[in-house]
Amino acid sequence: MHKVLSDKKAIFLLIAPGLILFVFMICIPIFMSAYYGSTDWSGIGQYQYVGLSNYKEILFEDPVFWNSLWNALLLTAATLVIQHPIAILLAIFLTHCGKYEKIFRTIFFIPAVISIVVTAKLWSGIFHPNYGLLNKFLEGIGLGVLKHDWLGDPNTAIWCIIVVVMWQGFGYALLLYYSGLQGIPKDLGEAARIDGATHTQLYSRIMIPLLAPMMRVAIIIAVTTCLKQMETVFLMTNGGPANSTQFLGNYIYKVAFSSSLYGYGNAISVLFIVFCLILTVVLNKALKKDVGEF
Amino acid sequence: MFSTIQPSAQKPQTKPASSRIVRRSPWPRLALFAFMIVVALIQLFPLIWLVDYSLLKSGDFFGKNFLVWPDPPQWANYKNAFTYGRVPLFFFNSLLVTVITVAASAVLALMMGYAFTRMKWKLSGFFLGFVMLGMIIPIHATLLPNFILFHKLDMLNNLFTLILPYTAIVIPISMFIMTGFLETIPRAIEESAVMDGAGIFGVIFKIIFPITKPAIATICVLNFISTWNEFIMANTFLTSEDIKTIPFSIMKFAGEYSSNYGAQFAVMTIIALPTILIYLLFTEQMTKGITAGAVKG
Repeated sequence: MHKVLSDKKAIFLLIAPGLILFVFMICIPIFMSAYYGSTDWSGIGQYQYVGLSNYKEILFEDPVFWNSLWNALLLTAATLVIQHPIAILLAIFLTHCGKYEKIFRTIFFIPAVISIVVTAKLWSGIFHPNYGLLNKFLEGIGLGVLKHDWLGDPNTAIWCIIVVVMWQGFGYALLLYYSGLQGIPKDLGEAARIDGATHTQLYSRIMIPLLAPMMRVAIIIAVTTCLKQMETVFLMTNGGPANSTQFLGNYIYKVAFSSSLYGYGNAISVLFIVFCLILTVVLNKALKKDVGEF
Repeated sequence: MFSTIQPSAQKPQTKPASSRIVRRSPWPRLALFAFMIVVALIQLFPLIWLVDYSLLKSGDFFGKNFLVWPDPPQWANYKNAFTYGRVPLFFFNSLLVTVITVAASAVLALMMGYAFTRMKWKLSGFFLGFVMLGMIIPIHATLLPNFILFHKLDMLNNLFTLILPYTAIVIPISMFIMTGFLETIPRAIEESAVMDGAGIFGVIFKIIFPITKPAIATICVLNFISTWNEFIMANTFLTSEDIKTIPFSIMKFAGEYSSNYGAQFAVMTIIALPTILIYLLFTEQMTKGITAGAVKG
């Protein structure tokens, strides 16, 4: 048995195809980015090595880069402050729905499986100044004065994006918290109830504190997905108006393919990856206060 | 639960807390269901609106009502969607790319997962961690260098090129699910097979593969949905009209058909349907995959 399991040739044959593909599509591109990021390449023709000047320019002179990070922060904050509490509340309600629990769980998750192309276009329709649902709704309840070109106004566009991302990702958050609640042993709740705990006490003192490990996971997932947000923005506003809804992924795309600044775009890519790695490590460390075993 | 509560319920003076559980009124439960139904409707409302408006004449879009009863339903929108949006061709392209990606990633995940969890080699831990880093790396950061790479290799504008990055980006999560599952399988089964003279590939594909079917189903469902929905890479790496994937059907309505709202909404419904169907058919596998990824991560 041991001989079969330490057969070097077999190990190589099992690992190599996947690993080579992974290295070629993920790792080599990162090194290429690091290389082109230190040049002034414009996509075609000659280019020169410019050292770290791209990085300096991005970090110290590029307001759009920082605005992209700020938007990611805003999106994260909105997700954590609005989406997650609602998800926790509904997850608790779900556990009381008995045999209908699965139906509700399925319904809440449906938006998450739909192509972002569809959801982005759909919500663009909802925010549409002429036939959009939102303006119709405002008019219907007598607030016609608030009618608006929601995606065309830099002040409201970012909030539209936030609403769409929260709507689509709601099922994920709900599912995480729901499975976290399922993982808490039933007898804990029953014991508390026999001791006379009310519903509010049961949840505020026992269930929600026991959800902490799942919250840690959900927070890390939320932060990284918000930072990586691109498709919704790309399709709804393409970062506009006036870069007010810009996110890093979309900014790279715009810089490279619209402005032909391939060197600069690659430098942003490198910083983007570094940011994600640092953030994940820091978050994992910062939130590592695990609750003990049940 | 009831056996412990009922006796105490007969003497409520001593244990009032328990008696409250027994005599609970139906109202909180009804209120709960009403609330859940309302929230579910709000959550689904954009989709209901989508389907409703996909059956309207473009002119009806500008009426005052949220939902308009389609009278008669404009099935012509769907017909137009098929022809203007080139749905059959794009649908086939998407299916081809997605099926190959899903199959390849499942096989690779099985092979690598087995080598990482069962086989003994020095760098196992290192490479496992290395591949898992892929879950952190923002995939959009590889878009630009991959574009340059494919350009140099003259692989741009080829439908099959897409399969490479698509498979690569799902490898980490697929392997994650697979290794988690393999760790729960006892080793005794393989040992007897090896005693009987089976080689390593025989063990993996004849013995481990059937056992890991639940994990493979989960991997396939997750990867199907993410690959089917992928848009940015297809948008970057493909330029010819004939090889585009299904999300591009909606882009066909940007120019000359841009005022044909009914057909646009019909296209969106068509794009959304396959993933919703797959999800409804395999809800449990999908749920398991997502929660497994979270619980262990």
